[in-house]
Amino acid sequence: MSKKTARLSQRMYLLRLLVKRNIKNQYYRSFIGVLWTVLNPLLNMIVMAFVFSALFGRHTDGLDYPIYILSGNIIFGIMRSSTSSSLGCLVGQSDMLQKTKVPIEIFPTANVFSALVTFGFSFIALLLVAGFRALPIFGGPYFYFSWKIVLIIIILPAVTVFSLGISYFLSALYVFFRDIKHIYGVILTLWTYLTPLFYSVEALKSELVSKAMVFNPMYHYVEGFRELLRGDIPQIMLSFSTTQPSILAMYGFAAVSLVLGWLFLKAMKNKIAANL
Amino acid sequence: MEDNRQDVVLEVRDVTMKFNKYETGVNSLKELVVRAFKKNLKKRKFECLKGVSFDVHRGEAVALIGRNGAGKSTLLKIVSGILKPTSGYAKRYGRITPLLRLGAGFDGNATGLENIYLNAAILGYTKKEIDAKIPEIVEFSELGDFIYSPIKTYSSGMLARLGFSIAVSMDSEILLIDEILAVGDIAFNKKCHAKLAELQQKGLTFLIVSHGEAVKRYCKRAIWIDGGLVREDGDITTVFKHYTEAMTKKTAAPATAPAAPAAQPQAKPAAPAAADANKK
Repeated sequence: MSKKTARLSQRMYLLRLLVKRNIKNQYYRSFIGVLWTVLNPLLNMIVMAFVFSALFGRHTDGLDYPIYILSGNIIFGIMRSSTSSSLGCLVGQSDMLQKTKVPIEIFPTANVFSALVTFGFSFIALLLVAGFRALPIFGGPYFYFSWKIVLIIIILPAVTVFSLGISYFLSALYVFFRDIKHIYGVILTLWTYLTPLFYSVEALKSELVSKAMVFNPMYHYVEGFRELLRGDIPQIMLSFSTTQPSILAMYGFAAVSLVLGWLFLKAMKNKIAANL
Repeated sequence: MEDNRQDVVLEVRDVTMKFNKYETGVNSLKELVVRAFKKNLKKRKFECLKGVSFDVHRGEAVALIGRNGAGKSTLLKIVSGILKPTSGYAKRYGRITPLLRLGAGFDGNATGLENIYLNAAILGYTKKEIDAKIPEIVEFSELGDFIYSPIKTYSSGMLARLGFSIAVSMDSEILLIDEILAVGDIAFNKKCHAKLAELQQKGLTFLIVSHGEAVKRYCKRAIWIDGGLVREDGDITTVFKHYTEAMTKKTAAPATAPAAPAAQPQAKPAAPAAADANKK
């Protein structure tokens, strides 16, 4: 029993080292270092807000448009950065993995946690923007803080688990098919546009889109987060008649993703070892 | 070889490994789809190892020889527990540390010290164990203050030193060496060989994959893998003699280029570490 806990703590240590390395590498040697994780989403938001506010700015259901964009992007970013970095993570470590018995799932897991850390920094950026927009200047306030923002801890585990599943799946698949890197890039772009990051579902005024949106897992995470920012709480149950984020859907998608990804990785483990 | 059973650190029994291999390596989705349409996606059952058995005892140094594609690498993966054999088993009584090829598993942006931690943690060591070994590793590598510089500023010799120092300093029972060492300059090379000899004295077990006769320095025993079988297992001089004879005689051997024998005679310590990959 104590042997097991010792091994577990060793794995946790390795995981921590890997996450640290990832974060360090992300902004290695850049002038202001980790500050980029805060600045990056901010600058992105400014560009997007500038470009799209005339088009979609008035249909955000009471949420300030810059915050609308920023909130969507940073939640989506957890999934985007963890899955795209997980693609090549096993192949990139192949020298090590050919010779050492190490639980390979630790590498995609580390990527997901790194993305979560990055999210933490971006969340600071969001709070800064929100604080700024809550000030009574330039005709404001445009944003009102609600205590419900802390309920993001309901959403984060779900989107983390969802990203984990995809990351497991992709890291394993990439060992066999190296060209999925390009395919996944396209899928990710498509997914970005299919999720209401800079537009809102209502603004499109399309019955079909509204109906189909509930099948997009990312919609629930992104829009659920925005509900909290608005001071509402996402409903528990999933409804197909109205386009509403639901907590059940969040965890449902997460569970399905994790189970499928995990099973795939487990089933392929020996083949991965042979193919690396 | 059935004497003193508790001395066995590595037990390989009837290991058989079968692969479902596509006739030509398919490693992209595009290729898979195109071939599926053209209907030349032939799968072939490929038996890489056919009932390999051997024991390795504590303190023994064993050379694993055989021509490219004989199944050595697969066998090593099974021995290290990465790959599960189709049938049979490989049991390890103790930890295995692999000596990786140059700079493998290192992160270029991280410092030498950070890489020691990362590398050793991947090898399965806890923070405490690594902390205790740091002075020894740093000292042995002779890197001095370079240990605080990013790895990518290192020369290849320095990289090799670091890798070697990590591998020999961690307390493991079995050291896995792929091709005999070519580490750093002559002075460091000497030091490495001295260290290996010292470790051997201490009872560390070596498993060395090699094509060169240089392994004779450590190994008294050699296992010759040929066509997925143990062709010969015994005294290294005899096995090497038969191996060399077979390699030079058999010019029309299947799956071997006619010029293949040239690959093995004088692979002195200066040979590149990744010699397994070269197809002469």
